[in-house]
Amino acid sequence: MRIATAVSATLLLASAGAAAADDLSDLRERLEAQEQKIRVLERKLELQDEATKATVSSTPVVRASPQQGFRIQSADSQNVLRLRGVLQFDGRYFPDDITPATQDTWLLRRVRPILEGTLNGIYDFRFTPDFAQGKTVVQDAYIAARFKPWATLTAGKFKVPVGLERLQSATDIRFIERAFPTSLVPNRDLGVTFGGDISGGVVNYAVGYFNGVSDGGSSDGNTPTPDAENDTKGDWAARVFFQPFLNSDNFALRGLGFGVGGTYVDSTGSITTTLLPSYRTPGQQSFFSYRGATVAVGATPGPDRVFADGERVRWSPQAYYSIGSFGVLGEYVNVSQDVTRETPTAGVRSATLDNTAWQVQLAWFATGEDESFRGFTPGSVFSLDAGTWGALEFVARYQELDIDDDAFAGGSNSFANPDTAASKASAWGVGINWYFNQNYKWSINYDVTSFEGGAAAGADRPDEKALFTRIGLQF
Amino acid sequence: MNKYRTIVAALALFALAAPLAHAKEVTLLNVSYDPTRELYEQYNASFSKYWKGKTGEDVTIKQSHGGSGKQARTVIDGLPADVVTLALAGDIDAIATNGKLLPVNWQSRLPHNSAPYTSTIVFLVRKGNPKNIKDWGDLVRPGISVITPNPKTSGGARWNYLAAWAWAKQQPGGSDATAKDYVRKLFKNVPVLDTGARGSTTTFVQRGIGDVLLAWENEAFLSIKELGADKVQIVVPSLSILSEPPVAVVDKVVLRRGTRAVATEYLNHLYSPEAQEIIAQNFYRPIDETVAAKHAGQFPKIKLVTIADFGGWAKAQKEHFADGGVFDQIYAPE
Repeated sequence: MRIATAVSATLLLASAGAAAADDLSDLRERLEAQEQKIRVLERKLELQDEATKATVSSTPVVRASPQQGFRIQSADSQNVLRLRGVLQFDGRYFPDDITPATQDTWLLRRVRPILEGTLNGIYDFRFTPDFAQGKTVVQDAYIAARFKPWATLTAGKFKVPVGLERLQSATDIRFIERAFPTSLVPNRDLGVTFGGDISGGVVNYAVGYFNGVSDGGSSDGNTPTPDAENDTKGDWAARVFFQPFLNSDNFALRGLGFGVGGTYVDSTGSITTTLLPSYRTPGQQSFFSYRGATVAVGATPGPDRVFADGERVRWSPQAYYSIGSFGVLGEYVNVSQDVTRETPTAGVRSATLDNTAWQVQLAWFATGEDESFRGFTPGSVFSLDAGTWGALEFVARYQELDIDDDAFAGGSNSFANPDTAASKASAWGVGINWYFNQNYKWSINYDVTSFEGGAAAGADRPDEKALFTRIGLQF
Repeated sequence: MNKYRTIVAALALFALAAPLAHAKEVTLLNVSYDPTRELYEQYNASFSKYWKGKTGEDVTIKQSHGGSGKQARTVIDGLPADVVTLALAGDIDAIATNGKLLPVNWQSRLPHNSAPYTSTIVFLVRKGNPKNIKDWGDLVRPGISVITPNPKTSGGARWNYLAAWAWAKQQPGGSDATAKDYVRKLFKNVPVLDTGARGSTTTFVQRGIGDVLLAWENEAFLSIKELGADKVQIVVPSLSILSEPPVAVVDKVVLRRGTRAVATEYLNHLYSPEAQEIIAQNFYRPIDETVAAKHAGQFPKIKLVTIADFGGWAKAQKEHFADGGVFDQIYAPE
């Protein structure tokens, strides 16, 4: 009996142990199954995350910002398309006794949609038409291949690298119209340049070859064929500019830049294609031109018209400096131009005329923003609700343009008529720029220009007083 | 045009051409499928040395890896691959027909249908084979978790799928219908689909998911080499498929980059005994008979079907893997 009881107890215990082992095994299997499910879920999340990252890394980026305009770019930033624009609406008023009343006017000074971008991370392009002043002009159309920071090849139509204020963007210039030195350097032309930045921009250089334009002119103003070569002789252009403290910690000198630019051509004009300029006042009125410059539409130019005939050499030392909210810009230009005229009584006359111009301009942000050659960011934006007023900048400048006296020598046989062409213009100007934000700007300028000569009987042309205002939008 | 303009134009042309000339000297991009990383790392070093000795030029080969189908689409979309070394001919066919980047007869330009090595599909299971998986039929048992990549993106996955299909069809009473039913059941046992073979290896080996990985033979050997034989083991099924990963020069890219000579030699050299030895060392089956004989012991003998049994890649792709094909019909992600 005892044995039977013991056996039964043992069997019961064994049975209970086996059941417990089965339960444990079952539990282990269920646990493993649950672990597998969790691992699968985790892996699926991991794969989802990888897929999302892969998608994001290849999804083009669309951006809209006040400074950079509207932009579409590939995920790797190697391909970018930007839409930018400039709209400038000017008012011109002349409170003087010389400028015709018809010159008081509103006008659209610049209407430029700008399409620019980069392909393959190297090839930049820009296309800028201008629809202002009742005509359509292609201002910029070029490709720039940035092989290295110091090796950029640019080809097409763009600004010739010479004049300092000319190279400053139309949205960055401190006065509504640029000063006299810009009248003596080329504007935009068709050609090729090679240049770039050395040592992170401490040295910038450019060497180029262009069709050639007259002083202050663009190739769209070339005659008889706009945007084409008209004298078979191209212009060499070069510029080197230094910003020795650009990357230094020296706050006082970081904003210093200086350099020199110039052009050279041995040109061959003619009475039909004179290749000679006329010069304008700060009020954009012509105050100097060579004899015979104006020819009525359809008329044949006179045989005694002055034309470029030989070397034209321009050179321009230039500099700017900014420290805190104060900035100064100065440049000097000399253009040495060989001219020829078949005179009425003295036969064929030739001479080398040296015309010069210079300017100094000062700028100061009353609202404390930092002055800069290129762009700036207002410390606040105009908002009636917030009680903020944007940035306020005061500017002043003095400028002169001096024509070589030899241009007026020889009486009726001279190269310029002293009764209509002034030999010198000197102007001072002041202005205010009110930046409502990065995109919207209101400006007002007042320039007074005095002349030497330019009126009958050796008198001086009366002073020009020009009050210009501008509402500008840029993005 | 005066002399200055001529000089400037010539200089500009030179400056534009300079980076092209520079590119010709230095780089090739090999766009490949997932498991070939180690193979081409070793081969690239060997080829660079060979090319330097032959021409004096330094050549750097960049690699890009991913699911074969996905890689093909990337090349079609603009990735400038000088050469493609993908998992199956159908993917290079797509580059030829959809991308028009190389001629449609590309496969005849190199020996052995442009496949300098072959491989096959085997099973990788946990050490000791705890689920007792011996052949394809075991993969559809309830409770068996199978790891394979997505046939839509992975060449290896398509080989897996076709091998499974071929086995099912060769079973007694087998037909397209029974094969279709079999692969439907098989993919019901697949808990997660990676985009490429290397991703599936990660899922199985590193994440510890699944009971069996359908793997390239070379990938299975590599896993054992890296993990140790005490972690995983290979199961050789009764039937598999001869996979012929092909290679090709991408004509339009090499024409644009000026790299045709080096790219062509890069692929030709894969058939050399030296390269075939590297291929064998990385567990791919070499084409060269001498090298193959030397390494015969490391590769199991398996009854193999070929893509020709499916009517070629174009037909197989259209029937099974194109949108609306059999795979789309049998697989529904959970």
